Amino acid sequence: MKTRPMLTLDDCRRISAAAEAEAKKNNWNVCIAILDDGGHLLHLARMDGASPANARIAVEKGRTAAESRRSSLVWEERIKAGRNSMLGMPGITPVQGGLPIIVEGICVGGVGVSGVQSHEDEQIAAAGIKALG
Amino acid sequence: MLRFSSFAGSLSAVMLMTSTALAQVPPDPANPNEAVPEKATYVPYGPTIKLDQAKKAADAALAESTKRGWPMCIAVVDPSGDLVYFVKMDDCQYASISIAQHKARASAKYRRPTVVFERLLGRGPFFSYLATLDDVIASRGGNPIVVDGKIIGAIGVSGGTGSQDDLISQAGAASMK
Repeated sequence: MKTRPMLTLDDCRRISAAAEAEAKKNNWNVCIAILDDGGHLLHLARMDGASPANARIAVEKGRTAAESRRSSLVWEERIKAGRNSMLGMPGITPVQGGLPIIVEGICVGGVGVSGVQSHEDEQIAAAGIKALG
Repeated sequence: MLRFSSFAGSLSAVMLMTSTALAQVPPDPANPNEAVPEKATYVPYGPTIKLDQAKKAADAALAESTKRGWPMCIAVVDPSGDLVYFVKMDDCQYASISIAQHKARASAKYRRPTVVFERLLGRGPFFSYLATLDDVIASRGGNPIVVDGKIIGAIGVSGGTGSQDDLISQAGAASMK
């Protein structure tokens, strides 16, 4: 039987704390969502000043990265390159700011961030994942 | 024009139409919902919960469920029911991810503990209308977070029995008092 790593609440808290620190450092108010590889919400923190929409979008960016095992930017770029049919992909939010969490070569989940410019959202998500070591 | 020939037909027409020409639906003396209370009783909404406050409430709930060995999902929402903070403990069932959020949302939007819906629905058919209201969840475990007599958010917990969920949820809400 195959065994594989899986995110614990401790891991999620570490990721979220590092992401929040990155956002705070830049005076950005964002929402940070962490999901497992099946797209189930494990942890969410909406900073003061981030909107209810940010909470929904962060979850959907995280879901996109977790379930497709690739950055949500990849989807955005495919569409930008002209693959408009990708807009209809189920459960995909093709906007930068969602990153997969890869551990030992396996996608164990995703982090989605929403609240500032998309590339800044991704910067926050990356800072969070980096804390996992 | 349709013509109702039977008594049953005209009665149902009266009950469905609400024009002033027709009498209102006659009151049902057996229905406790017919009573019109003099006063509106409610806890007013206050400022929106801050992330630090949401974390404090969730951490108190988390500490209580860790102590008892109950794996739970804990959701904290703002007064309008939108998510501010969420944690899923290891080994908590997947269904609870959405149930915890639903309990928190219903508690904030209706400004009351969700046990109220559970109890009233249990009283019988005159309260089954509650299940038709938007976003209701008739299961205990959602409680308003009240600071200085005002609702700043709500906390919803799911993962155990309703009674376990409510105990953890109340521990979270109480930490803000």
